[in-house]
Amino acid sequence: MGDLLKVENVTLQFGGVKAITDISLNVKEGEVCAVIGPNGAGKSSMLNVINGVYVPQIGTVTYDGVTRKTISPREAAISGMARTFQNIALFQGMSVLENIMTGRNLFVKSNWMEQGLNIGRARTEERASRLAVEKIISFLQIESIRKTPVAKLPYGLQKRVELGRALVSEPKILLLDEPMSGMNLEEKADMSCFILEINKEQGLTTVMIEHDMGVVMDIADHVIVLDYGKKIGDGTPKEIMANQDVIDAYLGVSH
Amino acid sequence: MIYRETGNFVTDYMRDREIFPMKFDKIMVVLGLLFLYLYVPTTSEYMLSAHVIPILAVGLAVVGLNILTGITGQLSLGSAGFMCVGAFGTFNLMLRLPEWLMSLPVALMISGIFAGLVGVIFGLPAIRIKGFYLLVSTLAAQYFVWWFFNSFTYFINYEASGVVAVPPKMYDYWGIGNFLGIDMQGYSPRYILALTIVIGLTYFAKNLLRSTTGRNFMSVRDRDIAASVMGISVPKTKLLAFFISCFYCGVAGGMYSFLYIGNVDLMIYEVDRSFTILFMLIIGGLGSISGSWLGAIFVYEFPILFTWVGDVIFGGAFNTAVVENVSNMVYGVFIIALLIREPGGFAALWATTKQKLRMWPYPH
Amino acid sequence: MGFDWVYLIEVLLGGLMSGVMYSLVAIGFVLIYKSSGIFNFAQGTMLLFASLTFVKMTENGIDFWTALFIAAGVMVIFGVAIERYMMRPLANQDLLALFMATVGLATFQEGFSQFIWDSDIHGLQMNKFLDLQLLDSAPIFVVEHIPWLDILLPKFDIFASLVAGSLIVVLAFFFQKTKTGLSLRAVSDDHMAAMAVGIPLQTVWAIVWAVTGIIALVAGLLWAERVSVSFTLIEAVMKALPVILIGGLTSIPGAIIGGLVIGVGEKLGEIYLGDAMGGQGIELWFAYFMALMFLVFRPQGMFGEKFIERV
Repeated sequence: MGDLLKVENVTLQFGGVKAITDISLNVKEGEVCAVIGPNGAGKSSMLNVINGVYVPQIGTVTYDGVTRKTISPREAAISGMARTFQNIALFQGMSVLENIMTGRNLFVKSNWMEQGLNIGRARTEERASRLAVEKIISFLQIESIRKTPVAKLPYGLQKRVELGRALVSEPKILLLDEPMSGMNLEEKADMSCFILEINKEQGLTTVMIEHDMGVVMDIADHVIVLDYGKKIGDGTPKEIMANQDVIDAYLGVSH
Repeated sequence: MIYRETGNFVTDYMRDREIFPMKFDKIMVVLGLLFLYLYVPTTSEYMLSAHVIPILAVGLAVVGLNILTGITGQLSLGSAGFMCVGAFGTFNLMLRLPEWLMSLPVALMISGIFAGLVGVIFGLPAIRIKGFYLLVSTLAAQYFVWWFFNSFTYFINYEASGVVAVPPKMYDYWGIGNFLGIDMQGYSPRYILALTIVIGLTYFAKNLLRSTTGRNFMSVRDRDIAASVMGISVPKTKLLAFFISCFYCGVAGGMYSFLYIGNVDLMIYEVDRSFTILFMLIIGGLGSISGSWLGAIFVYEFPILFTWVGDVIFGGAFNTAVVENVSNMVYGVFIIALLIREPGGFAALWATTKQKLRMWPYPH
Repeated sequence: MGFDWVYLIEVLLGGLMSGVMYSLVAIGFVLIYKSSGIFNFAQGTMLLFASLTFVKMTENGIDFWTALFIAAGVMVIFGVAIERYMMRPLANQDLLALFMATVGLATFQEGFSQFIWDSDIHGLQMNKFLDLQLLDSAPIFVVEHIPWLDILLPKFDIFASLVAGSLIVVLAFFFQKTKTGLSLRAVSDDHMAAMAVGIPLQTVWAIVWAVTGIIALVAGLLWAERVSVSFTLIEAVMKALPVILIGGLTSIPGAIIGGLVIGVGEKLGEIYLGDAMGGQGIELWFAYFMALMFLVFRPQGMFGEKFIERV
């Protein structure tokens, strides 16, 4: 299968600080691509460039056959990108159900007048959204907390809700920023299962930032290694394990 | 107990999001409506004119501010300005358009739309300005609107005193009053109109909040970047919130001038009133529609109650200045204490009480 | 008709002076905002409370300096109480809640100060107490030796500017050179980090509120000399909001320059735009419009720190 996402020669600067220097990468349709690297390597910035939260100074992103220099986060969402954030960006004042429902907003065609009067399309759409949301809720096994305000949930569950909010928008590509950080082993296993299951059953392309090498080796088809804003490795998990630069970056080198 | 949840099963997702999910609630709603429509209009004129109608009008403005500040998170101190647009809009529509075309209910809605559009203009900066900086925009709206109607006396029909009493013929409602032989200028018909508008708009707001638009509003309030990543257009959502909020304020302003005091007076819509509405919102609880009504009732009734206590117990010991100062102190203390103890305001206190009653006699 | 330069300069100077007056109010705002991120809406009522306390004491025969001293003491106690009973229990709330709390504080203070004192309008003639030539209300002529350029400038305005100027110098010294100032700056950067290195957050906040109270007293007295001691002081502070927002909330020089911009702009607007707008009194909203225009192009204000949002 072809490349769904292609990043070419992207450089991103904040003031004088270069977060990303001349990175290119390809993500094939249907694969799980893991982006790894030490803290400050530019991984999150890379995701932010891909879905338009940051605008790179140099370089282009080609997604779904369209090449552009800039894209707004909203356009990215419309074109089928969904993502989660490193420091959970759930809507803290809303319940689990409401949070996941926001993921359906692009499917809603009724206007606010119809919704306020609670008539016609507004009702059928609300029901359809709820159905889709309930499917995700049961897939993620969070039925019992549906109506709980997300602010009251433990970290691991919040991550799960955030994944649900991304999935319910029926994306073409899923960008996950450290979906398993701060989780215990069991929670990690659950999360890995969810990611793999969606990938295998629906062929959903996934780009994932992850620190846990065990998880990465288990579920990724393709690994990209960043260090100090540069790409130092790109290949299958096996190739990466053997890559001397990567080993140096991770374990340190003796000079 | 009558209020029991067992036996109420939800078999449909639409039933799950109902405003009144329980059978008991529904019975209460019907009884409540009967009470409001059949009993309340027969109570004294004083009751309607001094308590019920002003609360309905001001409470609607609080609901409006709630949509903007409580739900969408955009701070506003311009509520009174938008009410002012509504009041003057209604007056001019009634004055300048032929009687067969314009009637009070229609004029109120149209001037609500005017107020909404003014709100959108002053909401435009919200696309770029965030947080406290937005105070400038809404205060600009407040002062500009006030100045505008103060300067261009055309809008008050060149009345030199700046106050114009509502002519009786404006309560004509296409002549229905004469036809039915009811004095439509009286407080009972005014109350029925106010109540109908308020129930309709409160229902509309409730619906909005449990649908996509409401969730978009809240997502912009909670995390605007995440909202845009979900594909929500943040600028559009903010402007829509301004429009709807100011529409409510506009209608409330028209109601306040026409159904309550019966004259159009600029002095009523000074910045103080914006603050009073904000107090009502905070005390009632940000984000809760029923809280807005509780807050409106408390803040409106407190000075009246306090004066009454002074008259009855202390033999009229409190003059207006004392009442005003004590009221302000009480509002201040309530706001601070609620923010510390229960940031959700009266609405959250009410919810907690309900929860406790549900669990009674088991505390957990 | 030739262009009236003298008049223009007079207007500019007038604007400059009201800018100074605004910046006096702004300093209090900035101090609180810098140290706790709170937009203190109660600044205006603090002015009222402070000056009312002072005026009532002098009216009851207490001499100037004693009254000033007692009023300052009252403001310090008030500031410490605010920290103890309002800020501390609210420490973990979001900024909107804190802002609302200051709105509550403002209401309380408005009611309280007029309840214990009164709601009358009090005049304040400071030269009654202070035998200062500068306080003479007669205007002086600046640059008298240039015959075609006599500009009227009230002596009082010069006095106010001097007081404002020295306040700013003292505060700058306090912030930059003292240990407390250093803690203050640390706290404003990051509460948690400051606490982690052992800065007593609560003490720092108590100091800030107390200092703000004293500034409110000084500003209140100067403003009261111009307007009167009454609720109009609160309105004066509402007028100061756009000034502070232009200045960027975190910077005292910003507040002063913001004050100058608004002060001058307002006067120029009233004079050159007032008629064109078909009505008098555009002063009422013109400052807000200017601030708005400014903020649309520079949302963080003139000297405000640029805010990078991280996700």
